[in-house]
Amino acid sequence: MPTVAARPRLRVGIVKMASCDGCQLTLLDLEDELLPLAERFEIVEFPEASSVRSAGPYDVLLVEGSISTPDQATEIVELRKQAKRLVTIGACANHGGIQALRNWSDHDAFRAAVYAHPEYVASLAQSVPVSELVTVDAELNGCPISPDQLRELLVSVSVGRRPQIREESVCLACKRRSVVCVMVSQGIPCLGPVTQSGCGALCPRFGRGCYGCYGPKEQANAVSLARAFAWTGRQDAEVARLFAGFTGWSGTFRSVAAAYGGPPGVIPYAVPAEPKGGPDDARD
Amino acid sequence: MVASEPPISGQPASLAAQAFRPGETGGSQLGADWFLARPNLGVLIDALRADGRTVVGPRVVDGAITYAEIESADDLPIGVGDEQAPGHYRLVERGDRRAFDYTVGPLSPKRWTFPSPLSLNVGTRDGRDVTFERVATETPRLAFIGVRACELAALGIHDRVMLGGPYTDEDYRTRRQGALVIAVNCSTSSSTCFCTSMGTGPAARGGYDLALTELDEGFVVRIGSPAGADLLARLPVRAADGDQRASAAEAVAAVAKRIGDPVPSAGLHDRLMAQFDSPQWAKIAERCLSCANCTMVCPTCFCNTVIQQSALDGSTSTSERIWDSCFTAGFARVAGGNFRSRPRDRYRQWLTHKFATWVDQFGSFGCVGCGRCITWCPVGIDVRAELLAIAPPLTPGREPAAPRPVAAAPGWYVSGRVVSVRQETSDVTTLTVGDVDDAFLAGQPGQFAMLDLPSFPQLPISISRFGRDTVDFTIRAAGPATAALTALGPRDEVGLRGPLGTSWPIERAMGHDVVIVTGGIGLAPLRPLIDSLVAQRDQFDAIRLYYGARTPSDQLYQEELRGWGARGDIDVQLTVDRADDAWTGPVGVVTHLFDRATWDGSRSVAFVCGPERMMEATVDALEARDLAPDRIFVTLERHMQCGIGLCGHCQIGRLFVCRDGPVFALAQLGDIFGREGI
Repeated sequence: MPTVAARPRLRVGIVKMASCDGCQLTLLDLEDELLPLAERFEIVEFPEASSVRSAGPYDVLLVEGSISTPDQATEIVELRKQAKRLVTIGACANHGGIQALRNWSDHDAFRAAVYAHPEYVASLAQSVPVSELVTVDAELNGCPISPDQLRELLVSVSVGRRPQIREESVCLACKRRSVVCVMVSQGIPCLGPVTQSGCGALCPRFGRGCYGCYGPKEQANAVSLARAFAWTGRQDAEVARLFAGFTGWSGTFRSVAAAYGGPPGVIPYAVPAEPKGGPDDARD
Repeated sequence: MVASEPPISGQPASLAAQAFRPGETGGSQLGADWFLARPNLGVLIDALRADGRTVVGPRVVDGAITYAEIESADDLPIGVGDEQAPGHYRLVERGDRRAFDYTVGPLSPKRWTFPSPLSLNVGTRDGRDVTFERVATETPRLAFIGVRACELAALGIHDRVMLGGPYTDEDYRTRRQGALVIAVNCSTSSSTCFCTSMGTGPAARGGYDLALTELDEGFVVRIGSPAGADLLARLPVRAADGDQRASAAEAVAAVAKRIGDPVPSAGLHDRLMAQFDSPQWAKIAERCLSCANCTMVCPTCFCNTVIQQSALDGSTSTSERIWDSCFTAGFARVAGGNFRSRPRDRYRQWLTHKFATWVDQFGSFGCVGCGRCITWCPVGIDVRAELLAIAPPLTPGREPAAPRPVAAAPGWYVSGRVVSVRQETSDVTTLTVGDVDDAFLAGQPGQFAMLDLPSFPQLPISISRFGRDTVDFTIRAAGPATAALTALGPRDEVGLRGPLGTSWPIERAMGHDVVIVTGGIGLAPLRPLIDSLVAQRDQFDAIRLYYGARTPSDQLYQEELRGWGARGDIDVQLTVDRADDAWTGPVGVVTHLFDRATWDGSRSVAFVCGPERMMEATVDALEARDLAPDRIFVTLERHMQCGIGLCGHCQIGRLFVCRDGPVFALAQLGDIFGREGI
């Protein structure tokens, strides 16, 4: 059997939809590992870093950003056909991103308020995760994604195994680092208990509550956490705002935000309800 | 069947002291008491550091008293204490000179004896060959200072788990063998403590090198090992005198008494193992976040996993051990499925391991009663309450009211001794009174007692809690007699007569929703009712508590209010007449708290206590919600003197409030209730 290094290089593409480019740049943050990376991977499409373009096919296609325009909705379907493995990266691609705040409001009213000629602006009424349109093989969470997890994903593809990405809560990361719980000791509302780890508990380490940018952890009991926030004196609007952040359009967080009246400042219309049922009803 | 009450403490006494350090010196001093003056505490820490030890002790870090490396006595939390309740921790500035007047924080010695991450090895693949190289980690020579009895017990458990079986953890052995342990006996406790139930504290019974008990002027020091004796020989100590030894013993005994026995552990193993199908598991899962905080802060949880980081070319991979938790989804997952797919399964796994199957495996409970899992649960799940709900003690609750004691007759005062005093608000104080007549302990929620402080008028005071062998009285200093009562301190005596009067008919509420509406100090006679409701939580449907106070700082029992609310199965709603800057809750009368609520009054039983005007408004609001008068219970306040219906002071209509009340069904009062001038 040939060693892994002797195999042909894998073709990697990195593309973006509606997003800020921060997740793509995480690849460049791998710095010291870029050269070994180039031995295993041929980066054929990465407009952020190189003018060399390729239409595919790709062994691995990393997709950043949410689907926010009709063009993107068409493009992602075409890209899927070109990709052996499609991996979405970041809160936008996985959960709709912060731009999904518009999903709570009447889209036409927003457009009319902002643009002189709203008819020139082609955008979908909702910013949605890539997985609503095409099959996704793996997701890397975060806003932005973690370099370690990106690295692990690439290694797993290279070695030919499943990525080992822990799906537990941020709390474990806090406790392993001896971070004192900001919620219990200071009453700061923190989404850490219901949010998937990966960030190394970045915000709690600096005395902030978790913003949930990695999205709901497995079987996240956001209902119970929201109740605890309300109990510690948070008003409904604040609870809704907390859950309606970077990953607020994910099913679990969305239903809690809705139950507490939705994020502040929306131009209301009917928000589609999530199916009822707590995390304990669904089997893993 | 296994031993249900395994001896948990004491046994490792000497894993640290004897097995690891079979030194010969100083053995004759084992168990002797010495006195270290307060200014010389620094000498102790300097001596440890002079030996090249890393000294780990209590330190204020990011809003908590936790363990950290300390360099001098100045790093200790001098004058700082803590307030703990389910899901709640706050520092409290006391401003005195005491260094150890706090209860355990989020970290335990586990952080150092069983670190996470721990580098294990680097594996290399070269062609067909693989090689593994152990990563040598530096293990510091540790000295722990401030270790509590519950933590000593936890270390003992880890010793058995990691060193007592056929396979041992060598990293743990190295760290543990080299560590010196300076224990501190607890002279304070938190609402979350239950070491007494688990048989581990509050007094250190072994497993230490030195044990300190803090007094105002210094420390009584007991030697627990030859290494401790060696260390002590280098400190400026003198033999402790009788007063010092007595003060130290009293301080620790008072803590034991205060904690009581919240989770009777007799037969717990079998009781719990019989409840695998309890409906309570699913109820817990409605609140449980499966966030794993309980297991991370637990000083005995040792579950761990190995994570690997591979090089991009797959040629090498580095392994590390990190703490894992049975609450994570991946913990019991195998290819094709997950053995514990639901959070309820994981909670059951954890609880039954700690309190039952651990006994089968290691001969003791896996819980030491430190209360960390209660404090650091973000939603305040209280393991004690869950144990009581799932596996209630074999003789649950109190016996029905005892025959009326003869001691009720006027003149038959017996003395009880104040055990502790708690300032609830600026003018309200709770006295916890011990050495009381057995009749008191058989009393029922809602009953009251006559209190007699010679030379002051005798006063009727409702009983605000039944401890295992104490009763609480919560008193507002409204006049000279109440002021004298609230000025009592620990060890002062007070005359008691009772318990007297009727009690809240808890049995009427079983199988129904419970609504409790109260204002101000009216919460006091309701607290033992709430204690009872909590102890048999599954006997009732929804429980709603509506409490109004003049201002936020006039709320009684704030920690407990928080704890009840954090349980998730009691709807606690608070309001104040006047807000302060920090108050974000509602302002207004208590009935506004349920003006717009949707609950069904016809399914409810209501318990109401407060100023009469407030009760009238409440009764109107409850009746408007279809609560029948025989399901609304109120307490009346009158001038009660004899307490047994013989002096006439409290008569209203056909009733004596003292004997026929103070708890009445509204139906029983008829048109007496709310009528002016009766």
